[in-house]
Amino acid sequence: MIETRGLGKIYGRGLYALRNLNLTIDKGEFVFLTGPSGAGKSTLLRLLLMQEKPTAGEVVVAGRTLSRLTRHEVQAYRRTVGFVFQDFKLITTKTVFENVSFTLHVLGLPIEQQRRRTYQVLKWVGLQHRLNSLPEELSGGEQQRVAIARALVNEPSLILADEPTGNLDPELSLEIMNLFRDINASGTTVVVATHNRELIKWVGRRVVQLEHGQLASPTEPPT
Amino acid sequence: MSVVGYAFEEAWASIRRAGRSAAVSIGTIAIAFLTLGGFLLVSVNGQGVLDRWLESAEVSVYLDDHLADELRTVLEVYVRQQPAVASVEYVSKARALERFRADFPELLDVTTSVGPLPFPAVLEVRLRPEATGGANLDDLITALAGREGVADVRYDRRWLTRLMGIVATARIAAALIAGVLMLGAAFTVAAVVRLSLHARRNEVDIMQLVGAPFSYIRGPFIVEGLLLGGTGAAVALLAISAIYSGVSQWLPPEVQFLGVREGLIMLLGGVGVGAAAGTVASRSAI
Repeated sequence: MIETRGLGKIYGRGLYALRNLNLTIDKGEFVFLTGPSGAGKSTLLRLLLMQEKPTAGEVVVAGRTLSRLTRHEVQAYRRTVGFVFQDFKLITTKTVFENVSFTLHVLGLPIEQQRRRTYQVLKWVGLQHRLNSLPEELSGGEQQRVAIARALVNEPSLILADEPTGNLDPELSLEIMNLFRDINASGTTVVVATHNRELIKWVGRRVVQLEHGQLASPTEPPT
Repeated sequence: MSVVGYAFEEAWASIRRAGRSAAVSIGTIAIAFLTLGGFLLVSVNGQGVLDRWLESAEVSVYLDDHLADELRTVLEVYVRQQPAVASVEYVSKARALERFRADFPELLDVTTSVGPLPFPAVLEVRLRPEATGGANLDDLITALAGREGVADVRYDRRWLTRLMGIVATARIAAALIAGVLMLGAAFTVAAVVRLSLHARRNEVDIMQLVGAPFSYIRGPFIVEGLLLGGTGAAVALLAISAIYSGVSQWLPPEVQFLGVREGLIMLLGGVGVGAAAGTVASRSAI
């Protein structure tokens, strides 16, 4: 599903965010990217979402070499990827329902299908009673569930999450991780960047440890 | 909702949010189009006047004071025989004085002080419409000027041609001024669209992340420019209409308001300038 070959990213004058990173993530896997701040977790996710371009090497996702995509192809690629960020990235002027259905609107789905699918996914994350609320009226956990619903609504083959529980208390964090586990159980590849060791242990999936932009250890699932 | 419907809805919401800056933008574009509309109004009516003058342009053949009637008749026959000539009217010295008195009654004193018949007799030559201008006419005028008994030959068309040249130059100057003003209006619209982009940066980023097509992301900003430009032009058109209604009672009846063509030029111009500004602003940012 995901393969990085000699991937490197340099910011400014010689500040290495990623250095010669070779990594493979299979289809349907649930992988944690972990490591200290500045290890390169978020940079790797930004490269996977094509928010940035690598300075060396390449990223291949589902057979597509991302750096070779045109701007329009990047947009088409992003429609196959769901993303969840620590700061939720919700549109503050749109309701919960609109934030989620917006992705389907972009895809040009018929309005009835948009409504049905949006309601289903919001029900799945337990927010069917907050459809008309604005993001600012929701708690952090609820906002993150909206973000997850938005990431899921178009049934992407890959979900990328950058510190999705960074702003949440432990109980809500477990709740969000449970959602990711359920998403993965349906066959979606899930990549979560976090430095929360407790959470990683609790979920118990493969861990990729990054340090100074490189793999710090063999990428094995924890026992 | 379609992509176009979405773009219009978002653009309208953005204009409402922008409030004062949107009003300033509409005002600026309205001033630019007020200038353009004024120029069109003057241009259309000026052209009408010029056309009428051109149609009635004639050659005036002034005769020597002591020209004998026989010679005058020969000359008149010669002129009538020319292919470019439609009609010839002889105006005697006495008739010329009558005309002057009728046209300028306030100058009666002047005519009495310069002698009994101060104006020369004249052959007023109307030309066929197809003959106005051109080398043949110049030849005719030269030939007439050289004939015995002819004191002078004046051709209206010459000064009308010069006037047309001045009007054409004035038109170019006015078009340049209107162009500069519209460029300024376009920059204002672009600035307002950039403000909207800045205000909705978060939303635009999210749209990009979910893979929205660029037409979908830029659409609202292009439509916002289009609406600002179109509204500005419509305001200008209304203002010109109001000004025209206010002063029309003092204008000659021949002065007409802008036609449908000129109105469409203004409205489509406003829409075009606004959409172009919105496109440039959104393309540079997204």
